Amino acid sequence: MKNKILLGLAAIAMVAVLASCGKKPQVEIDATNAAIAAAQTAEANVYLPAEFAALQDSMSAINAKITEVDGKLFKNYKEVVADLASTKTLAETVTANAAVKKDEVKKEAEGLLNNIKAVVAENAKLLPKLPRGKEGAAVIEQIKGDLTAVDATVAEAQSLFDKGTYMDALNKIKAATDKANSLNAEIKEVLTKARIKF
Amino acid sequence: MHRVWKHILIITPLFVLVAFMGFIIFYPVPRPPVGEMVSARSVISMASKKNAGIYSEALFNESKNCYDSAMTYWKRENEKGIYSRNYKKVSEFASLAANKASEASNDAEKNTSYLKIAIQEKITALKKTDEGLNRRFSKYPMSTEMKNNISRGEILLTEAEMDWGIGEYARAQAKITEVEKILVPSYEYADANLRSYFRSYPQWKKWADSTIAESRINQDYSIIVDKFSRKVFVYLNGELQLTYSAELGKNWVGDKRVKGDKATPEGMYKISKKFLSDSTRYYKALLLNYPNEEDTAIFDALIEKGSLPRSAVIGGMIEIHGNGGKGSDWTAGCIAVTDREMDSLFKIVKVGTPVTIIGSMYDLKHVQIR
Repeated sequence: MKNKILLGLAAIAMVAVLASCGKKPQVEIDATNAAIAAAQTAEANVYLPAEFAALQDSMSAINAKITEVDGKLFKNYKEVVADLASTKTLAETVTANAAVKKDEVKKEAEGLLNNIKAVVAENAKLLPKLPRGKEGAAVIEQIKGDLTAVDATVAEAQSLFDKGTYMDALNKIKAATDKANSLNAEIKEVLTKARIKF
Repeated sequence: MHRVWKHILIITPLFVLVAFMGFIIFYPVPRPPVGEMVSARSVISMASKKNAGIYSEALFNESKNCYDSAMTYWKRENEKGIYSRNYKKVSEFASLAANKASEASNDAEKNTSYLKIAIQEKITALKKTDEGLNRRFSKYPMSTEMKNNISRGEILLTEAEMDWGIGEYARAQAKITEVEKILVPSYEYADANLRSYFRSYPQWKKWADSTIAESRINQDYSIIVDKFSRKVFVYLNGELQLTYSAELGKNWVGDKRVKGDKATPEGMYKISKKFLSDSTRYYKALLLNYPNEEDTAIFDALIEKGSLPRSAVIGGMIEIHGNGGKGSDWTAGCIAVTDREMDSLFKIVKVGTPVTIIGSMYDLKHVQIR
């Protein structure tokens, strides 16, 4: 009799143990969230927006799966742990790729910024060579607006570059490059017309 | 009796246990709407890929909030006993999230294609405005501030076009709005100014017709300077013989009012003196009889009205001279032609040859088409 009662109690205890045996993989959850946060810090949302969105989707699906398992009597987080591991790996890859992409954009922006600065510097160097007298002053007057606008745009681009927003800086530099080059051509044309060496 | 009770005591818990097990096994456990949640996530993800967060922000945020609410209700239900859970709210919010995300997705798609076309149209229109500014007003006297603004607007327009090219429509639109604020008022200001200037066209036409008629009657040369097109027209016997390019004073729009205003006067003049290279800094020169009687009368009236200070001087020494061909309006009010053109002009004109300076030979409509 005593044995039967003990058997019954053991069965109940086993059910209780089984029901609570799956522990929430909090360490893995935190690690994956941290990896995604690191990807965001690496500006993956700016440089690799599609990949970053996929990461967020993946984490959202995992969160739902965790809630689903949380509600079960017999909790089994095995699948969740596997998903967390693969998402964490993906987040790390995205972080690394974003850094590479950011570096590429930075280098491109840096190169273009140096180019445009060289053109701006050349323009500044050529300006005093423009024909002296009122005719030279008239040409300078005509291109003054353009020179000011290019200078302002280069300054804005430099400020964006210094802040690390390379993508925005890149767009600004590209837009100002055409103007700076056409100004350069215009100044050189005036100098050529006036037979002034440059 | 004692034995019977003993059996009852054993059987009852066993029965309860079996009943409990049966209940656990056979009672329908409420299931969470996993499929609906998956579907909601999938629709939200699709909306996100269509940039609904930017182009249908409110709806997209609503859908995300609904999804979050579904998750919150789901977690709340999980805290309840397994058989007392009710996932109705979870299901409702999941379905609402999916519907709103789908709406946001469609909305974003519509807004994106609308923006794509609308921005392209605006870019085209603004390019035309800029082209108009460059074509019609590149040599038009404008304030430094306005010139700076136009240049800034042009760079911003290029930026907007680049953003448009990479599908960044919202960013392109923000820049376009800024460009509109810069370029359109500049154009409108210059255009209004030009229209106001061309109100003198009937007078210019009268002067031009009279000058051409004089050439015909006298069987001699007459010169008309068209300031807007920067041309010097040479007539003989009332027929156009030669056309030269001219460069003017920096503030060439309008009549000359006072010495040093860098304006080229308007009116009917005559060559009063011819200067060879040894008598002028500008290769060769044809001095005009500016100010004539009319100019002096206008100047005096302006002094009288107080529009000009009493110390103002009317100025003079307005010439057609050489050293031109610089590509800009650089004179102090004179008309500059190239040395070669000056040579040919110098040969054919004499003291007394009429020189009429007007704003334009053509009316504004004609000028705008050209």
